[in-house]
Amino acid sequence: MIKKIMVCACLIPFLAGVCAAEVWKAPDQEQARERAKETVPFVKEYKDDCQISRRICLMDAGISLDDVTTVYFLLDSPIIKDREDHYEPVRFAHKRHAALVDDCTQCHHYRPKDENALETTRCSACHQDSFNPEYPERIGLKAAYHQQCMECHQQEAKGPVDCTGCHLKHVPDHKELVKLPDNPDPIQVTKACLECHDTQGEDMLKTAHWLWRGPSPYTTGHRKDILHGKGTTALNNF
Amino acid sequence: MPKKEVDLKFVAENVGHSSRATCGACHFNGGGGDAIKHADMSRQLLTPDRNCDIHMGGYDFDCAECHKTRNHQISGKSSSVPVAEGVVACESCHSKTPHYSGNLLDHHLNDHSKTLACNVCHSPVFAKCKPTKTWWDWSQAGDKEREVKKDKYGQPDYNWKKGEFKWEESGLPDYTWYSGYMDRVLMGDKVDLDADVITLTDPVGSINDPGSKITAFKIMKGIQAVDAEHAHVLVPQLFSADKDNTTAYWKNLDWDKAFQAGMKAVDLPYSGDVTWKETWMYWRINHEVMPADMALSCVQCHESLKGDQTCNRCHQDNREVDFKALAQKGTDFSLMKSQGRDVGHLIDKTDYINFKALGYEGDPIIHGGRFKKLPMGYQPSSD
Repeated sequence: MIKKIMVCACLIPFLAGVCAAEVWKAPDQEQARERAKETVPFVKEYKDDCQISRRICLMDAGISLDDVTTVYFLLDSPIIKDREDHYEPVRFAHKRHAALVDDCTQCHHYRPKDENALETTRCSACHQDSFNPEYPERIGLKAAYHQQCMECHQQEAKGPVDCTGCHLKHVPDHKELVKLPDNPDPIQVTKACLECHDTQGEDMLKTAHWLWRGPSPYTTGHRKDILHGKGTTALNNF
Repeated sequence: MPKKEVDLKFVAENVGHSSRATCGACHFNGGGGDAIKHADMSRQLLTPDRNCDIHMGGYDFDCAECHKTRNHQISGKSSSVPVAEGVVACESCHSKTPHYSGNLLDHHLNDHSKTLACNVCHSPVFAKCKPTKTWWDWSQAGDKEREVKKDKYGQPDYNWKKGEFKWEESGLPDYTWYSGYMDRVLMGDKVDLDADVITLTDPVGSINDPGSKITAFKIMKGIQAVDAEHAHVLVPQLFSADKDNTTAYWKNLDWDKAFQAGMKAVDLPYSGDVTWKETWMYWRINHEVMPADMALSCVQCHESLKGDQTCNRCHQDNREVDFKALAQKGTDFSLMKSQGRDVGHLIDKTDYINFKALGYEGDPIIHGGRFKKLPMGYQPSSD
């Protein structure tokens, strides 16, 4: 089934109904993005279960992978963004992690005290602002994400533990950073880039995309060679 | 140098992460135009349909999310060129046991992952969104008068600069054993002039090698020039920016001069004795992975599961499990056809990957797998 989401951007209010353009969006990503924007009421009180009894409680209740309603999340929240916003959201394959860990209580470690609440709830229901003086023992959402993800990744020796292993860093606005005259020539622009990015410039000069040649470790008979590539010896029939 | 009308100041002030558009500006146009070279990449991937590519169309992946970079070296192992600065593998994210839905098939599917590349099931047709070139006969180039006909996809069958073409859309890949290594014919390498086909990139693998997997390829086939005396593939000079150039083929339509100039440029001998040979290049199908529910079903390869006996060859079926439905669940070529894709011939197809060509005696369920030699037993008839 095609679930392409087409958003009609109506530019001028008094021409409402006249769609200016169809903006392409990736449906699964869009759904996750919308969900990440949501904030839910703060859970003030939680049931202080021992994790073992909680796990057995969930297992006895028959909660399994089939109960995972949302397969994919973007870990992002206005709660974090309001304070700081340096990184892109983190992709989180929820069901994949649930299957790997095989124990929901690894993340869903407590439940709300309210007996009518669902057994599992989202991280941001209990973990919101950091350093809330009314709940000094409750870590904030950003810390909760990092503690939960990184500790498990370290323990299991699986998954990234460095910043850019999960996040893409926002690119700073270069309008203020770039000092160029109008209509610069390409050499002036390259020089301006290299003023800050000289290491990256050096790196670039050693890459296959620059040299059009490089190591060929997967070509039989040439596994230790470093000079094959489109710019040197590669042949094709197109 | 960039075109004069490009406002480089604007460009510099708006630098950002790479995207499908930045990488695709070159890579979607391999072979001289959109979708020509790659069977699994085209400008369709700028705004892809979810069914065309789940990663990019469903989850809005950019290229660099899989093609991780380190010091500007970009991981990825191309089929067509030898250079590689690291590899990208589905398993890096999906692990070696990628099927985890908790249903009855997981065990068997994960077992299949030891023998099949993911895309055998998860991208069962190539060029599913846009036709790709599969035949390119350079020997026919040069006829400016020749009438250019359009095929059923609206693609041209001829170009006087380049020769004769054939195109495929929603093509059935070729399947072969692949260990991750390629045999290649590089410039100056001797080729067998008596062979029917010279394979320029040839996947290395064997049914007997546990490290080899059945892998899906588009084979680009064509005819190109080989030096009949030196037995190496000839490199022509095709174009020149120099107005007075007298050697480039697209200016002068003289292959002999084009080969002389081309071979001089690459510093290899040219005898003047030219023979036109059929050449093949294997290009792996890596992208345009479809959503999980569009993967091939069991019966599309295993004819033995099409009849009355399915999973009950080995398993008891006295529980409430619909074995037949399980074996039939998967890619709906009828749906793809209804969406305008040219896949009518694939509906109800079985032996999809051609077991005999891969070295099996036939359907492994009947004849035994490559390491598990025992065929799956027939349950005694209930009557």
